[in-house]
Amino acid sequence: MIKTKTLLMSVGSVVAAMTLSAGTAFAGCATDGMPGSMDRPGGFPERALGMVVPYGPAGGSGQVAQAMAQAVTELTGVAINRDHKPGGSGTVGMTAYLATPANGYTVLEHIDDASSAHALDSGRPNPAEDLIPLVISQITFSQIYIRASEDRYTDWDSFVAWVKAQDGKATIANVSKEGSMERINMKYLTDSTGMKIQQISFDKGAPRYGALAGGQVDALFEQPGDVRKFLDSGTFKPILTLLHSRPGAFADVPSLTDAGFDFEPLLRFRGFYVHKDAPADRVEWLQWAFQKAFCEKSYQDFNESKYMNLIESFRDSDGARELITATIAQYRDVYKQLGMEVK
Amino acid sequence: MGKLRLGHICEAVFWLALAAFLYIESFEFDRGIEIYKFGATGWPRALLLLVAVAAIGQFLFQFVAGDKATSGTVGAATDDGAEEAARQSGHSHFRWYFSTFCLLILPFLYMRAHDLVGMFLELDKEGIHSVKLIAAPVLLFVYLLLARGNHVGAILTLPLFFAALLEDLGFYSMAPLFIVGVTLLMGERRPQWIALTAALIMGALLFTFVSLLYVGLPTGNISPFYDLSHWIVTMIQ
Amino acid sequence: MDPFGNFINGTVTLFSDPLGILIFFGGVVGGMLFGAIPGVSMLTLAAILLPFTAHLSAEHGIMLFSVIYCTGVYGGAITAILFNIPGAPENAPTAFDGYPMTRNGQAGKAVGAAVMCSAIGGTVSAVIMMAATAPIANWAISAFGPPEIFALVFFGLAVAATVGARTLWKGWLSILLGLMIAVVGMDPVGGIERYDFDMPYLLAGIHFIPTILGFFAVSEIFVQAERKATGVYEAPKLSVNFPSVAELIAHKFAVVRSIVIGFFCGILPGIGATLAAFMGYNEAVRWSKDRKAFGTGKMEGVISSETANNAATGAAMIPLLALGLPGGALTAMMVGVFQMHDMEPGPLVFLNSPDLVWVVFAAMFFANLSILLVGFLETKTIINLLRIPFQFLAPLILLLATVGAYAVRGLVIDVVVMFIAGVAGFFLRRSGYSVAGIVLGLILGKIGEQTFAQAMQMLHFEWTGFFNRPIAALLIVAALLTVAGSIYSAFFRKDRQ
Repeated sequence: MIKTKTLLMSVGSVVAAMTLSAGTAFAGCATDGMPGSMDRPGGFPERALGMVVPYGPAGGSGQVAQAMAQAVTELTGVAINRDHKPGGSGTVGMTAYLATPANGYTVLEHIDDASSAHALDSGRPNPAEDLIPLVISQITFSQIYIRASEDRYTDWDSFVAWVKAQDGKATIANVSKEGSMERINMKYLTDSTGMKIQQISFDKGAPRYGALAGGQVDALFEQPGDVRKFLDSGTFKPILTLLHSRPGAFADVPSLTDAGFDFEPLLRFRGFYVHKDAPADRVEWLQWAFQKAFCEKSYQDFNESKYMNLIESFRDSDGARELITATIAQYRDVYKQLGMEVK
Repeated sequence: MGKLRLGHICEAVFWLALAAFLYIESFEFDRGIEIYKFGATGWPRALLLLVAVAAIGQFLFQFVAGDKATSGTVGAATDDGAEEAARQSGHSHFRWYFSTFCLLILPFLYMRAHDLVGMFLELDKEGIHSVKLIAAPVLLFVYLLLARGNHVGAILTLPLFFAALLEDLGFYSMAPLFIVGVTLLMGERRPQWIALTAALIMGALLFTFVSLLYVGLPTGNISPFYDLSHWIVTMIQ
Repeated sequence: MDPFGNFINGTVTLFSDPLGILIFFGGVVGGMLFGAIPGVSMLTLAAILLPFTAHLSAEHGIMLFSVIYCTGVYGGAITAILFNIPGAPENAPTAFDGYPMTRNGQAGKAVGAAVMCSAIGGTVSAVIMMAATAPIANWAISAFGPPEIFALVFFGLAVAATVGARTLWKGWLSILLGLMIAVVGMDPVGGIERYDFDMPYLLAGIHFIPTILGFFAVSEIFVQAERKATGVYEAPKLSVNFPSVAELIAHKFAVVRSIVIGFFCGILPGIGATLAAFMGYNEAVRWSKDRKAFGTGKMEGVISSETANNAATGAAMIPLLALGLPGGALTAMMVGVFQMHDMEPGPLVFLNSPDLVWVVFAAMFFANLSILLVGFLETKTIINLLRIPFQFLAPLILLLATVGAYAVRGLVIDVVVMFIAGVAGFFLRRSGYSVAGIVLGLILGKIGEQTFAQAMQMLHFEWTGFFNRPIAALLIVAALLTVAGSIYSAFFRKDRQ
């Protein structure tokens, strides 16, 4: 079902997974080698596709869904109607998607939340097995931010020293979901440094950033694409990159290796899926459309604007399964260590 | 018994029972959160305690003063019409409440039909669809039987029925039936007026929302309703 | 450049661009129409339009939403007055006196007062907004943290408990019910599932839009239907007598007071306009010599709440533009418009796109003015909705509400929730509870619990920490005094009705 060519490419992309590009742009795009057009199997799709997005239109998922839908339409001329069903960290959208007919006309956008949800409760669908990943089109890492004007500490080392001196009274803004990528990474950090810091939970982005800007908290845990405006304006500055090497755009920010940590950080990824029992020829067409659309100029520009070009963001179906399976295993390990109830 | 009526006792029992039920249910999610001392249950349990306090306060107040309003509350004299309508209807005896309750439970039976059947039979996706396709007309028939004796109860229940069917059967198929049902319940008997109302409302809604604004209304998930919905959407977009 | 020069520039930019003019008037008419048709609201329109703004420029998109905001807040008053169906929570207090006025045959007067007061409140607030956004923003970003916002929510609830229900106890029970509804879904600290009863859709929590539609629109249909079924239904009386200028001048103090209240409440993120309307109404009653007349169709009630909620529109733009903090559902969608254009509302907007800010300010100023012109014309047509026989109007409103509830999040559960709220509202209203209180509790519940948790985390779980922060301390003391005062007067004052 999956062509040899894409298979070969996926091996390449897995190898490239953790390698970082030196500059901001890759020499070529991952699916440049794919054919520029593909016959519609049995006329499919005869009408507009639907895309269930389990998050609101304005957030990271809403934006990537919009950009990918636009790129697929540019490539194939098929319209995509997005259907936002936010809530329950993606659970609501997933449930609604699984209830739709498996005829290939409806696809799903989802993020790594689906993997961590399955890791915690195997009754929840496994995105690598209960769905077919069409493409993963965004992979990114997290950073720790402080106010650029901060003078109590100015870099990672002075920050850790200051936090330790506060005896648990220092604060950092983070998301409000236990067991999420953000909270687990934070757990790794506090365990590795031995510092005690009070996390303050914010479920929405804007108040979280406002809290750092307004001096309500001492630091912020976030991904660079989400706070790019604050970085460009010089309001926030990163003091630690949660990767083992330094991406080009943040060459002067210490990486985990620089800071002396050896844990494997969890990544944020966003991708597109279809029902596993959708007709195979339709799935093949969708895989072509979504993977090829990744290299449309509009989509590449979008990813660049979101700092999504700093590490390789592309995975085809097999690469996606590999990433998801590895991610689930890692989450499950951490949850067990934390003593959380894994079902 | 002071100035208490049976209704006041029911009211107090309702609030206390609600608070007790939700308190017991809160043990379902009684897990600690590493970074937050009060956990997930602290806030709701504090609120439930306040509910109980307010319900007892209200009960004691009614014991002393009956249905009077307290001073210092703004707009307290406001009867927005609901209380007056209730008095005029005379729908305040136990039998009416009971038959209304029976009617209101029907849509929820539909929503849970596949779980109920699922206790006895293994159901796949197809099986669930069949159960729903059978449950809908059966419960609708029961509704019609009960509705004969309880006009207002029937009015309260119909929209819930409509909402319960939306997920599976879709807006496009159910809305025209709903319009006919509501118009009939409101006392209109002339068929041509009912048909005209249904046609006008559906036409206006589909034109504005689907054709002009591309709002995706629920299409349903069960064939043939799903296919009919998509056929209509493709036609008018 | 000075604010005045900026304003002139913004105006010129706004009206020199044909597409801009089209969008401006589209927004004015659309906001009023959706605000004024029972069952849908400006929020429905905004939710529907949000994805389309991706095709507009950022300037046009934000401008469209701010215009819809201004005219929609006014439009929501019309349905509150004519049908007892507030278009948005901030219109709920308008119905307290507006709907009785309709039942007394004074619909025209009530609507006329709403038109005038919305326009005045909104315009004045737009002017203050232009002068004050930048300095206030700088102050608020550091002065208002989670402890302050929680204290404010507490204060808002304490005030709201005394509004709309028959007794103080029922007022608190209404609000507590709303707060409990807000608990459904995931908890704001750990994302733990609460009261989902194994229904995955409930994890999304219960949204306030279907709840408002249910408690107000649907329950009102049920009440009327009960009348119809018992044969005591009377069609509402029509009148298009607008209030005279003299009548309005007589209420000039109420207008000024509500502008001040509305503006200051409106600045507060999360609850601005709704709190503004409730406070505006509450203060009108407190200052009045004729308290008992409120709730029976007193024009001052409509004036106070409508002036205050429109005065809050301009103020709500301050935290939005300056801090990126939305003041309510509609301003939250505006954040979405910004982000779709790859912009983040916040201090940067002032630096990077001053043109955009001033076009939006100018558009809001003129949108509020145009309420006066278009409002009177539109009202004369909208009021005729009352002429449609009830058996035909009822299915229309119920289906519009269905679309309105569904369109917000695309979830059928929201339609189910709406009709459950309709049935619950039907029974609660006939027993003297306040459905407006439930809705306010629901809206404030989420933000209240979240900011409480954040405050506790920040203050290291020491309650006294609130009193080390002057603003938080002040607000908590004010809230406690409000609670104590209302209990005192409920027990000891002798003017019980």
